[in-house]
Amino acid sequence: MIAPEAAGLKLSLRPPYRPQALNISLNQAGIALLAALGLLGIVMYVVKLITAWGDRAEWAYPTVVLMFILSTATSAPLIAYASRMAKGYWALPLRRVAALYAAPSLLSFVLLIPIMASLPPLEGRSNLWFGFSAGAPFLTDALALSILLLTGMALLWFSAVPDLAGPPSRVRAMGRWQRLLYLNWTGTARQWKVLRAANLTLGAFYLMGYAFVHMLLSTDLGQSLLPGWRSGIFPVYSAVTGIQAGIAITLLTAALMRRFSPEAGRFLGDEQAAALGKILVAATLMWFYFFWSDFLLIWYARLPSEVAAMQVTVAITYILPFVLTAVLMFALPLGLLIFNKVRQSLSLIAGVSALIVVGILFDRIRFFVAPMANPSPFGHSMETLPAPYWPNALDILFMIGFIGLMFAVFVYAASRIPVLNGWEMRQGSMLRKERTFMKTHVLVIGKPD
Amino acid sequence: MQSQAKRELLALYEEPDQAADAVERLHSAGFDDNDIEILSSTPYPEGAFGEGHTKHRLFAFPFAGAACGMAVGIAWIVGAQVSLPIITGGKPIVAVPAIIQILYEGTLLGAVLFTVLGVLFESRLPDGVGLYDDRISEGYIGISVMARERRMPDAQIALEEASPIDLLSKEGSLMHAPGTT
Repeated sequence: MIAPEAAGLKLSLRPPYRPQALNISLNQAGIALLAALGLLGIVMYVVKLITAWGDRAEWAYPTVVLMFILSTATSAPLIAYASRMAKGYWALPLRRVAALYAAPSLLSFVLLIPIMASLPPLEGRSNLWFGFSAGAPFLTDALALSILLLTGMALLWFSAVPDLAGPPSRVRAMGRWQRLLYLNWTGTARQWKVLRAANLTLGAFYLMGYAFVHMLLSTDLGQSLLPGWRSGIFPVYSAVTGIQAGIAITLLTAALMRRFSPEAGRFLGDEQAAALGKILVAATLMWFYFFWSDFLLIWYARLPSEVAAMQVTVAITYILPFVLTAVLMFALPLGLLIFNKVRQSLSLIAGVSALIVVGILFDRIRFFVAPMANPSPFGHSMETLPAPYWPNALDILFMIGFIGLMFAVFVYAASRIPVLNGWEMRQGSMLRKERTFMKTHVLVIGKPD
Repeated sequence: MQSQAKRELLALYEEPDQAADAVERLHSAGFDDNDIEILSSTPYPEGAFGEGHTKHRLFAFPFAGAACGMAVGIAWIVGAQVSLPIITGGKPIVAVPAIIQILYEGTLLGAVLFTVLGVLFESRLPDGVGLYDDRISEGYIGISVMARERRMPDAQIALEEASPIDLLSKEGSLMHAPGTT
């Protein structure tokens, strides 16, 4: 048995254990670095807005960053939902860490607006919209993403209210609207029930929104800008590999929390690695499954226009990012995660997770740079293969800065909202006990709902 | 008329078993689940105190929202297609497969918005609890009883028999314990 961290099994109910937000200061080297990177990201974004508005090729690498955020930060909250749905108590210390990624996900909307503004008209190129003229793709994509982000923020906020509200006298002293924001929290049985129902309902909508946004954006920013690229599998590939990277970034964050947050570190350990590690292996295998399903069909059918698109994203133009992706997202992780020792150690699996997070950046480069930088997106096939569009210094600074900004926003959110879900952990502590069974120890778990 | 007015008592218990005992005694004294509210700083499994099924209407909100969202989606797409009719690939002006994603988006938006509003609505409605005590947020369990004036003595006896650390009415502590609000 991979035992949970001992602290998680004996939390105090009176006085109730109340987790704290991260205590950060600019005097800490890591925080200062993140702040500097965040500032760089903001500056580079403004520079892009001023110098490259409407120039689609200039927004190719920001599109990579957008899809990177959608595939890491935006997919991470799914872990909180899935573990609630499946009553996975092992994830109790991870749920808030995963849900907090809803905050940096908001940055994706900031990126989406100028990117969508640079897209050419729909007429004359393959697209999802069948001549729908009332706002597609700008309005439809922006609306879809805003639904997803709203759901993520609602999930984060509602699940945090019991940890943030404080005693009833404080809530009742609040103004009308602030009190509403804090759900008029007093801790009645009905409020607890509504909160649990809201978490599950909104979680289901988050999953539905996540798949939908990946379908829209992977098509509107990818397939529809590269003539000949027609894949029904790619939107699913985009969503599933996003889940793989979401798991990876959550594990990586958990390992960093254990290292740098004394409070969270007491609860995060190998139990989370062992449970999430199995899902990570499955997601890693899914990478190959979806890649191969897509590749084999086109290779066998030999339609020149589809083959040309595959040569761009896999075989010729962006072969370097493809090889790096295949190694970092599939070969190395699978080779390492096969071993129990790696999968069941938070420190070791965090290393594998780091490979996957870097790998997905290259994956998004190979898929989204060519379409965004393609000067002739109209028609049904490409005349010639486009030359690779490698990043210039500004693009590299943009990517480093904006991804740094994503992590900076996460850390800032974690400094305002506790990084552990106190009420769920207290309930978990009530319902999980370690017991002696003959000559060994077992975990007895109660699942009442 | 005085006997028709409702009053409230709030008892605080150290242990969950004591709170469950109080709920059982209240049931025996003829109080039903609508008269009793349980307050805690940690969510206990439903029924842990012997209370009945707690009802809420949150699940109605997504359905209502989805219906509204879908209606708006239909209006949006049919209006757009009819006002600018372009025949694409020989298909009808309003072809179902082509509008599914807009309908999905409208439906999801309506469902999410109404769910969020539903959570706020369900939280804002009077929950029958007027009395409160900050010791509940320190881990004590509160049992609140709302009943007619003439039933108050029965409620007080039932709550006291379960050994509370304090018993509160609107006027203050009935046990003269320090630190009450």
